[in-house]
Amino acid sequence: MNNHNVWATVFSAGTFAQMLRSATPVALAALGGLMTEHAGIMNIGMDGMILMGAFVAAVASYFCASAAMGVLAAVAFGILIGLFFALFTVKLKSDEFIIGCALNTFALGVTAYLSREIFGLSGTSGYLVPCLPDVTIPLINKIPFVGEVLSGHSVFVYITWILVVLMWLFVYRTPVGFWIRASGESPETLRTAGKNPERMKWIASILCGVFCGLAGAHLSLGYLNGSFVEGMSASRGYIAFACVIFAAANPPKAYLAALMFGFFDALGLRLQDYISSDLTGTIPYLITIVMMVYVVVSGQKRRERLARQQLKKIETP
Amino acid sequence: MKKRLNVGYLVALLISLAVALLIGAAILAISGHNPLVAYRALLGGAFSNGRHIGDMLEYAMVLCLCGLACDIGSRVGIFNVGGEGQLLLGAIFAAQIGVWLDGTSAWIAIPLAALGAMAVGGFYAWIPGVLKVKLKVNEVITTIMLNTVAAFLCQFLAKGPWKNANKNIVAGTGNLPSAFWFSKLVPGSNLSTAIIFSAIITFLVWYILQKTTKGYEMRLTGDNPRFALFAGLKTDRIVIITMVISGMMCGLCGMFRVYGAEHIYKSSVSNEYYFEGLMVAMIAQYQPLPTVIISLIFAILKIGAMGMETAAGVPKQLYLIIQTVVIFCMAAETGIRVAIGKAREKRQAALDIKTRREGGAAHE
Repeated sequence: MNNHNVWATVFSAGTFAQMLRSATPVALAALGGLMTEHAGIMNIGMDGMILMGAFVAAVASYFCASAAMGVLAAVAFGILIGLFFALFTVKLKSDEFIIGCALNTFALGVTAYLSREIFGLSGTSGYLVPCLPDVTIPLINKIPFVGEVLSGHSVFVYITWILVVLMWLFVYRTPVGFWIRASGESPETLRTAGKNPERMKWIASILCGVFCGLAGAHLSLGYLNGSFVEGMSASRGYIAFACVIFAAANPPKAYLAALMFGFFDALGLRLQDYISSDLTGTIPYLITIVMMVYVVVSGQKRRERLARQQLKKIETP
Repeated sequence: MKKRLNVGYLVALLISLAVALLIGAAILAISGHNPLVAYRALLGGAFSNGRHIGDMLEYAMVLCLCGLACDIGSRVGIFNVGGEGQLLLGAIFAAQIGVWLDGTSAWIAIPLAALGAMAVGGFYAWIPGVLKVKLKVNEVITTIMLNTVAAFLCQFLAKGPWKNANKNIVAGTGNLPSAFWFSKLVPGSNLSTAIIFSAIITFLVWYILQKTTKGYEMRLTGDNPRFALFAGLKTDRIVIITMVISGMMCGLCGMFRVYGAEHIYKSSVSNEYYFEGLMVAMIAQYQPLPTVIISLIFAILKIGAMGMETAAGVPKQLYLIIQTVVIFCMAAETGIRVAIGKAREKRQAALDIKTRREGGAAHE
């Protein structure tokens, strides 16, 4: 193997196309996760939400013989699971961490049980259900490198781009988005302003459920071309959570973080011959830890600086 | 007061279990199984013969150690979610130390392996501990990230440098020399003398937490860190040391899995067992004694479910549903109790105001 070959493999169109594919389910879930993050709920139950969403989408697609129905069912289910999550974390004030953990395990159990009961299959063998279409973008698909990277993906890859923009607008440019952020940062202030922070948390939780449902639907109907596999969320919920933390809950940044995870995922697959994919697989997680330390430390520094300035103002009359 | 609380907890636990079993029965009935037959098969799967009982006790041991590791962490206010990674790393290092020391006496190899497993597990818990204490980085997130990193690292080691010479084993370390195996208490089952060590550890944890000043200091650190600091406790040190001990317990648990049951490191050493231990600890509200009891119940459910799958043809994943429904029920019960308490307080306060007003009116 020579060096030129390695670089050619790393920066080939295939790597970037794979990056987009790997990033999309994570990005979708991250869009949901950043809503709960803004509302001040630590949601580590996303993995379970994705898994159940994937299962519901596959089952609905199978019985209705239509992938669109699958997506619809996943969204409807996402609303339900968001309500369920909010019932415990907001209404009953349970420990969000406990509920998240339990939700993940519950999803693992209930999807495996039902998929065995409905389809009579065990383990990883999938069954095919109607899947979502791939999209070829006209004109762009003619451009040599760019076309290969951007065109020909499952439809949700492109829907995610639109959703990222919409979510950015929603979070930072609409009153409801503002209230949701306030419900996490300073619920009492929001209450004083006459808005109910609990209601905002409910909304955030439902939105999170919907996005995780979409992520699941994409996973089973788009990413894997119409099949459900037990445990197919494969910790994507945790990765999405990492993206949210990484991006400080900003939608475009979260998408970039998901792209980074996708890149390392693709890199691991591409470089299997040269370096163990198990080692490249650790990189995003380590980067997340480093980023978290950086975010926290720089935040403390900033607060210290502000405090010192305030002190100076008070001391100098 | 304390006694009444315990009774309340016990009632809540029993109700939750009953509800979970009922929901399980409903799921069974809907999917076309006879719940009674299935549950009988489940009990049979856990108790029908010595091998099953042995497996069940071994699994309870794993859950108990993991649950206790979580208990002691939460006692000082730190959440060790990284036990899975600590367990895996402890297991793979213990296995590899055993392979390296092939030919030496078991009296040298086993203590060294235990020390190695504890050192690795402890170190792996020390990282998030220090980050939490010194930099205030959320330990839940770092430990979750570190779990995945550890799983990848173990995969790498088991496929690469420490790979088994046997080509058929894709990912696994060398076989543990049989001289180092813990002797089996029940032939053919996973139950080994490791459970005796685990029992000792369990007792020590209970004793230290409930009966010593150290345990009291830990509780103080967790309940009211500022007060503990003003009382002269080195809270930072207490938190870090507790976290390291928690990691050491997980590492040791990994070693027990390898030396007692698997005799090789491969991915079946732990299949997210720590997360089940975590659920046990949550249901036990981070108290040692309930942790022991609930790990037994969970182990019966899991090992029994495996028997149920073969005997009654019910997918074994039913046990996961039952276990998590118990958690949801407990959470709901606590939430409802708190809500009722608050409503009662509010009513009482309103009543107080009313009587005071009336009292005031009478005075005038």
